[in-house]
Amino acid sequence: MSSIERLVRTPAAAFEFANILLTTDDATLGASEREAVWTHRGITLWRYRSSQRTYPVPVLLVFALINRPAIFDLRPGNSFVEHLLQEGFDVFLLDWGHPEEEDADMGLDEYVCDELHWGIRETLRASGAEDLTLLGWCIGATLSAMYCGLPRDGDRDRVRNLALLTMPVDPRDSTYARWVGDPAFDVDGVAEHYGVLPGRSVDFANKMLKPVTNFWTTYRRLWQGVLDGKSRREAYQPMAKWVADNPNFPGRAFAQWIKMMYRDGDLVSGRVRLRGRRVDLARIDQNLLIVTAAADHIAPRPTTMPIFDLVSSEDVTHIDRPGGHIGLIAGSAARNEIWPEISDWLRERSER
Amino acid sequence: MPDRSQQTDRSPSEQVRALYEEAESAAAKAFEEAVGKPSFGALLARSAENAAALARIGSDVADLVIRNMRIAGRSDITHLARQLHRTEDKLERILQEVELLRDEVAAGRSGGRSANGGEPSTGRRSSSETS
Repeated sequence: MSSIERLVRTPAAAFEFANILLTTDDATLGASEREAVWTHRGITLWRYRSSQRTYPVPVLLVFALINRPAIFDLRPGNSFVEHLLQEGFDVFLLDWGHPEEEDADMGLDEYVCDELHWGIRETLRASGAEDLTLLGWCIGATLSAMYCGLPRDGDRDRVRNLALLTMPVDPRDSTYARWVGDPAFDVDGVAEHYGVLPGRSVDFANKMLKPVTNFWTTYRRLWQGVLDGKSRREAYQPMAKWVADNPNFPGRAFAQWIKMMYRDGDLVSGRVRLRGRRVDLARIDQNLLIVTAAADHIAPRPTTMPIFDLVSSEDVTHIDRPGGHIGLIAGSAARNEIWPEISDWLRERSER
Repeated sequence: MPDRSQQTDRSPSEQVRALYEEAESAAAKAFEEAVGKPSFGALLARSAENAAALARIGSDVADLVIRNMRIAGRSDITHLARQLHRTEDKLERILQEVELLRDEVAAGRSGGRSANGGEPSTGRRSSSETS
């Protein structure tokens, strides 16, 4: 494109650029039909029924407490849920909802011992399955691992496969830890003052990990794409809408998470106690899949690697690929790269 | 870094763009290093503490004003919602006990089949809601 062509095109591109940004909130998220199976407080267990269910072991998806689980089912043609359904799995999703001030007392013990436990119970009841696959992503992976690290009873025995995607295990040597790991930071005070940490603040902190990329380059690239006539509105908008949807983080859970993970390293040293019961990752003996991303800046790969020394599973698979914390699983290349690898792993372990 | 022959093959606008992207990339790296420093962490932590304290003071003042107008404030609504949550927690546990007993009765009747008989549960709070 010549300079004159570019100059002529600039006003039209400016309108297009503004339109993409202004209509991002109107983008539709979600590709698959779903039904609510169970609700408790603001938490919902969703079921996505596969029309070609082949495997008796359902997959229960657990996302982080920051951002929304819509990333699992972003848009038609780019949905991990859609992929699993096509592969013949029945899929369930535990949606943590949008915590408000009345949820300030929700701690990690409530999330793991109650909500996740009950979500598993309801998944088994609704599907009629004997056992299930627990697939957690980011904090959702840590919560899933904590659940499997509790002493065995009842439904805890019924997790056959455990898949942990970009999971923080020992993040004491990370940028986050340098921000919030200092004992001088009054995490209890902040949690108490706020009640629930505003989602926007958590999102701002996440974006500050890569300030230029998040606050400038993303928009500059979009502008460049519009100017070159190569922008893909249908790809940009759902992802941008998802990024901007930030639920609040319950204060009690936030304070526990910061102290346990970024200050004391309690998870790796086996000092986490939930409702008086010790979380021991050595109790994890399920078929285990660990997925790490080489360019992950939220849960950098070295912070995930200690998991291999802690679990007692005999069947351990590690998938390590280039990509970022979100891009690895939800990026445009994921459909042809990581998703088939994950579903292949599940297929081999989901026969009756 | 592109070599000289590659640079001369490019048009001037492409060269400007490449130079800009190089500068942006260097700036991004510099900023990432800056935010990784403990001093930045301390600044961020203090800012979070101050923002939390200010939010609390603002909320308390606003609540006081609204309460004095005999209108339910945010803290009253939160208090009420907490009571509802506690009731819901208790109800959930009771429902689980009922389901357990129902399963035990069903298992007893069918002469020792598995707890839920291998049949999918109807889902007591199933909703027809779809999205």
